[in-house]
Amino acid sequence: MKNIITFILLFSINEASELAIGSLMPETDHQMVKTNGKNLTLSDAKGDKGTLVIFSSNTCPWVIRWEDRYVSITESYSSKGIGVIAVNSNASRFDDRESLGKMKSHAREKNYNFPYVQDPEAKLAMAFGATKTPHIYLFDNKDRLVYRGAIDDNARNANSVEEHFLSNAIEELITGQPISKTTSKAIGCSIKFP
Amino acid sequence: MIRIILISIFLCVQSCTKVDLVPSTADELISKIKQSKGEKAVLLNIWALWCDPCVEEFPMIVDLGVEHHDLEVVFISADFDDQVGEVRDFLDRNGVGPVSYIKKEKDESFILGIHPSWTGSLPFTIVYAKNSGNIVDLWEGEYPESRFRTAIEVALKS
Repeated sequence: MKNIITFILLFSINEASELAIGSLMPETDHQMVKTNGKNLTLSDAKGDKGTLVIFSSNTCPWVIRWEDRYVSITESYSSKGIGVIAVNSNASRFDDRESLGKMKSHAREKNYNFPYVQDPEAKLAMAFGATKTPHIYLFDNKDRLVYRGAIDDNARNANSVEEHFLSNAIEELITGQPISKTTSKAIGCSIKFP
Repeated sequence: MIRIILISIFLCVQSCTKVDLVPSTADELISKIKQSKGEKAVLLNIWALWCDPCVEEFPMIVDLGVEHHDLEVVFISADFDDQVGEVRDFLDRNGVGPVSYIKKEKDESFILGIHPSWTGSLPFTIVYAKNSGNIVDLWEGEYPESRFRTAIEVALKS
């Protein structure tokens, strides 16, 4: 009986507590470190129409398959008022594969056209309830979460995507329509918390 | 005659050790797990070659399956379908077989079909009770062996 009660408790502790749709953007003044060594907060990265926060990594194969789409989405929407920021919260790997130096070379190699920052102590990921990379959060211009989840439904091949979850949500956001699909799920690499 | 036997042994080494890697949806996998109700507890582990924590905990999970006769360990790989050969090699090296599974549907339907609370982060583990078939525990990420052992102990008694 004691074991069963313990397990009920474990269950509830283990339930993922991702930021709920409609929640305010947390930790907007948390100082993160850009690949040029300077600090950046979420407040600094906001766009006039909304803000896209991407939890990412240098090494996750799921990110590798998807990250060209980070760039094309930024190309399409930064001029339309969407601020974009990629956040590396893999704090237990900051001395190794996810170091600032490796982030810098990765961003250059992949032609990142948005800030790529290190999240000290993974504080932002914890506040968002982010668990994996890539993990996407889109906020409106009042900093309310309007979409959470995946970029689209096909990591492996951008040409075979059937549902463009994120692009659809951004289009709806900037044209003032309700977001038709507010959450989606995809497999990804676990964030390596400190 | 000796030559034929040697050729047979060679061919067997090439093919007989290969695990049968069955492409599966979440629904197909859950149906299979339900068939164990009343006979065995089940530990379902979703893993991928590219996932370091998955690969690190994998041999420990295999050993738990060997240790507990009333426990069926079911692995399903979430690797991309262009990695089937590497997945088979890994399973063979770890003594998994004769059957194992690889995801064959899109992420979202797979994740929701396995369990709605799963965010998609790997590894993901669920332990089902032997008699009731109910979920005893589930967790994302790498946890100590003690969590597996406690869950299995409860699953075998409930």
